[in-house]
Amino acid sequence: MNRNYILLMIVIVVLAGGLLFLPQKANYIQQDPEKLMWDIAQPTRYITTDEVAKMIIEKDPLYQLVDVRADYDYDMFSLPGAYNIPLDSLLTEQSDIILDVEDINTILYSDDDLKADQAWVITRRMGYKNIYVMKGGLNCWIRTIIQPKEPKETAPITEFELYKFRQGASIYFTGTEISLDAGEKKTLNVTRRKKETVAEGGC
Amino acid sequence: MGPLIPLGQIASGWDFVIALLIGIAFGFILEASGFSSSRNITGVFYGYNFVVLRVFLTAVVVAMIGLLYFNYMGWIDLNLIYVVPTYINSMVIGSVLMGLGFILGGFCPGTSYTGIAIGKIDAMVFTGGLFLGIFLFSELFPALESFYYGDSLGSATIEDVFGISNEKFSFIFVIIAIIVFYVTWLIEKRVRKTVNPYKFE
Repeated sequence: MNRNYILLMIVIVVLAGGLLFLPQKANYIQQDPEKLMWDIAQPTRYITTDEVAKMIIEKDPLYQLVDVRADYDYDMFSLPGAYNIPLDSLLTEQSDIILDVEDINTILYSDDDLKADQAWVITRRMGYKNIYVMKGGLNCWIRTIIQPKEPKETAPITEFELYKFRQGASIYFTGTEISLDAGEKKTLNVTRRKKETVAEGGC
Repeated sequence: MGPLIPLGQIASGWDFVIALLIGIAFGFILEASGFSSSRNITGVFYGYNFVVLRVFLTAVVVAMIGLLYFNYMGWIDLNLIYVVPTYINSMVIGSVLMGLGFILGGFCPGTSYTGIAIGKIDAMVFTGGLFLGIFLFSELFPALESFYYGDSLGSATIEDVFGISNEKFSFIFVIIAIIVFYVTWLIEKRVRKTVNPYKFE
């Protein structure tokens, strides 16, 4: 047998044997710190409570909600259809089943942004994509969706439209009727301008 | 870092260009290894020429160890590599049919094209048969479909099914490959005394 072949065989056995003795590396999938910092600084991960409300009402199949508070908080009050993954069990296999679904956007929320943001950083470092945070958390949810405040009279029309949507959403989520004071009709006095008649010249 | 295409390092618009380049390289290596000669290929079944077995085992061993080192260095993520799903029934029947075609025609699909490239008439006839086979299979597919997809294991790997780590398995596989190299060399030496050996220029 050719000596070169024997040499090659020895090389390949040494390489294959080397694999057995390589020290174990725990986890290679690491987010680049610089990129992570950049992502943390971006507000793009935030979704407003209005968007979340709309998504729940429309039963948008592309989104799922995850409550990262402790389970007793979750049992007391949470959003409809939300999963519960407490912050300390984010690294378990069960949470992986919920979070690791392709093409589904996950929205994290807690009482405020704090825990949800922490959870967001952890999931980001774990390599999950399409993770968002509900801006303001459940406190903001109560403030804006459940008990919306009427905007000032001088506010732009978009704020009134938002207010109307929030009132509707509040009815949807709480089941209680809110008095709508948009019922009063005001009579407008329409004064029509008289048409000015211009002397028509013949030609 | 890798795999380059799934991670978007290379845009998927380059797929066909890359496929073409890999195809050319594959064809070149098949031809350079003497695979465009059907005598070389069928030699495996008669025991006078095991070059096919040795070339493919070498390719498997090199790719296997290379990928494991690349994975270790973090240059490629093995979890993102596409693993062809395993269908036990159709794979067993398919390999038997493939082997029969191999020994009857003297080519496998890839090598028949390298045969055509250097102008072999038997390779052209073989490729005609290949297309006929593809046509018949496609026409009969609705009837065969349930069998074809039957007994699926999904994208199973040795690690998943037998619980041996990739590193251990590759070491065992290298040892097996070397034993195979040696044994086939012995068989070739014995058989070639009686059978007129094929020499490729």
